[in-house]
Amino acid sequence: GLTMTTQFDLKSYWATLIKEINQKLDEAIPVKYPQQIYEAMRYSVLAKGAKRSPPVMCVAACELFGGNRLAAFPTACALEMVHAASLIHDDLPCMDDDPSRRGQPSNHTVYGVDMAILAGDALFPLGFRHIVSHTPTELVPETQLLRVIAEIARAVGSTGMAAGQFLDLEGGPNAVDFVQEKKFGEMAECSAVCGGLLAGASDDEIDGLRRYGRAVGVLYQVVDDILKAKKGTGDENESKGKKGKSYVAVYGVEKAIEVAEDLRAKAKKELDGFKKYGDNVFPLYSFVDYAADRGFSIGEQV
Amino acid sequence: ASEEKMHQEIFNFKGYMIEKANTVNKALDDAVTLKNPPMIHEAMRYSLLAGGKRVRPMLCIAACELVGGDISNAMPAACAVEMIHTMSLIHDDLPCMDNDDLRRGKPTNHKVFGEDVAVLAGDSLLAFAFEYVATSTTGVAPARILAAVGELAKSIGTEGLVAGQVVDLSSTGKTNVGLDQLEFIHIHKTAALLEASVVLGAILGGGSEEEIEKLRRFARCIGLLFQVVDDILDVTKSSEELGKTAGKDLVTDKVTYPKLLGLDKAREFAEKLNSDAKAQLSEFDPNKAAPLIALADYIAYREN
Repeated sequence: GLTMTTQFDLKSYWATLIKEINQKLDEAIPVKYPQQIYEAMRYSVLAKGAKRSPPVMCVAACELFGGNRLAAFPTACALEMVHAASLIHDDLPCMDDDPSRRGQPSNHTVYGVDMAILAGDALFPLGFRHIVSHTPTELVPETQLLRVIAEIARAVGSTGMAAGQFLDLEGGPNAVDFVQEKKFGEMAECSAVCGGLLAGASDDEIDGLRRYGRAVGVLYQVVDDILKAKKGTGDENESKGKKGKSYVAVYGVEKAIEVAEDLRAKAKKELDGFKKYGDNVFPLYSFVDYAADRGFSIGEQV
Repeated sequence: ASEEKMHQEIFNFKGYMIEKANTVNKALDDAVTLKNPPMIHEAMRYSLLAGGKRVRPMLCIAACELVGGDISNAMPAACAVEMIHTMSLIHDDLPCMDNDDLRRGKPTNHKVFGEDVAVLAGDSLLAFAFEYVATSTTGVAPARILAAVGELAKSIGTEGLVAGQVVDLSSTGKTNVGLDQLEFIHIHKTAALLEASVVLGAILGGGSEEEIEKLRRFARCIGLLFQVVDDILDVTKSSEELGKTAGKDLVTDKVTYPKLLGLDKAREFAEKLNSDAKAQLSEFDPNKAAPLIALADYIAYREN
């Protein structure tokens, strides 16, 4: 795998897509009356430094099967909208009580708790609406789009990310594996699966993308936790309600490193099944190494 | 024989309401089951199955049947609009919003399950409504299901429920709220989802563009009617009769139609909206339109 991925320039691929996705997200949420709700939505969706991992993974999965990225953009934007909605609600005082996110004040810190709840409530349906109104139907059959909508709804819903958030708040220390899978694996899984659905991948291929995406999503978070622990910016800086969240806090750094290596191997093994698609699989390969190694920085570079 | 036929054609609204409410309640009970983690699903079911009037699902089903569809075409959508309605009530009742302790005569969701679970239960109902329409609708062309998903989504966000709640929150306690702003609040907060309920039924039942638009105009009138009547009931009925905190609009200094127009003018406005609504149904078969006409009357003359 290593020689293959070094041939592929993920950073350029990613940077190009981020630019396009940011522009489309900007257009998707124009400011109208009542202004404050649109501003609250834009504040989180268009936050500087967003890596756009879900949309990029969606586009990469779509292109793996030869799908047109124009078919994937509306869903890619929708993934970012529902993801932002989940994060806004997760940060609320009655949830994780996080006053900041990515170095910026949280949505409710700026706009108030009421507006933050409503911004989330508006972003979920906007995502679904964006898919319906913007996906070129000559590129994607309606039945596939319905599967995409169901997939996203399931991922953010009561057995997906909402379940992860619930157990994070209310579950015991044993809940860590489930919480990681649901809170961090679900979005990546959903993103990869949606990309495959939009390109018309077979059910077996969708299952492969599902396992791949979940492994990459959890891998990314476990590595984040390890890096934080090594930097010494661990537990004492975490706000209340976050204690049981990380692998490192529960299992220690060494076990977390082991888990990360397993996840990297697992994700790559899934991609071996897509070798017949040739070079198209490179972006998904390099995603795994990026999640594990953070070989470069992504996001707003000045 | 002709007498017997005439008798059959007199529409039995009470029987219709009871039968449809039972069908919808059963469908909702089957749709949201106790999955893992149980507490979120208990919270979803607590509010969803709390015995609402099921006006939105009934409008959806009646519109579907009016344009020639089968009830089964519209049932997942009928459940979905009730899930969305319930979700908006759960979030509106939160302490940071309207801060309500009582809903339909029972403690509100966050009072029973906590604010965190109430937020998540609302989010989950919202998401599940879309999943359910997308996966459980039968006998309808995928393009129509997709159009229904788009309509439903439009009714919730910044062109629907959320926009209404935002303006409602920002006008509470203000004295300079005009009729335009009041109508904006109600068209978005109440009428948008009632409109979606009717339009989803018409789309999924196989209605033509023209039929769908007629029914959309019908729904807009009864949507506003619904709120005008709600405001009137709020000043004329007690909490016990309403099953929620009555007079709250006055206490929190919210603007209402009776306050702005006076009680008599508000009642006149309600009458006009009801007749405007019915005018949209004049070209449909009167027997088939009977349930929607009766639902409009029910909304106009209800006691709670």
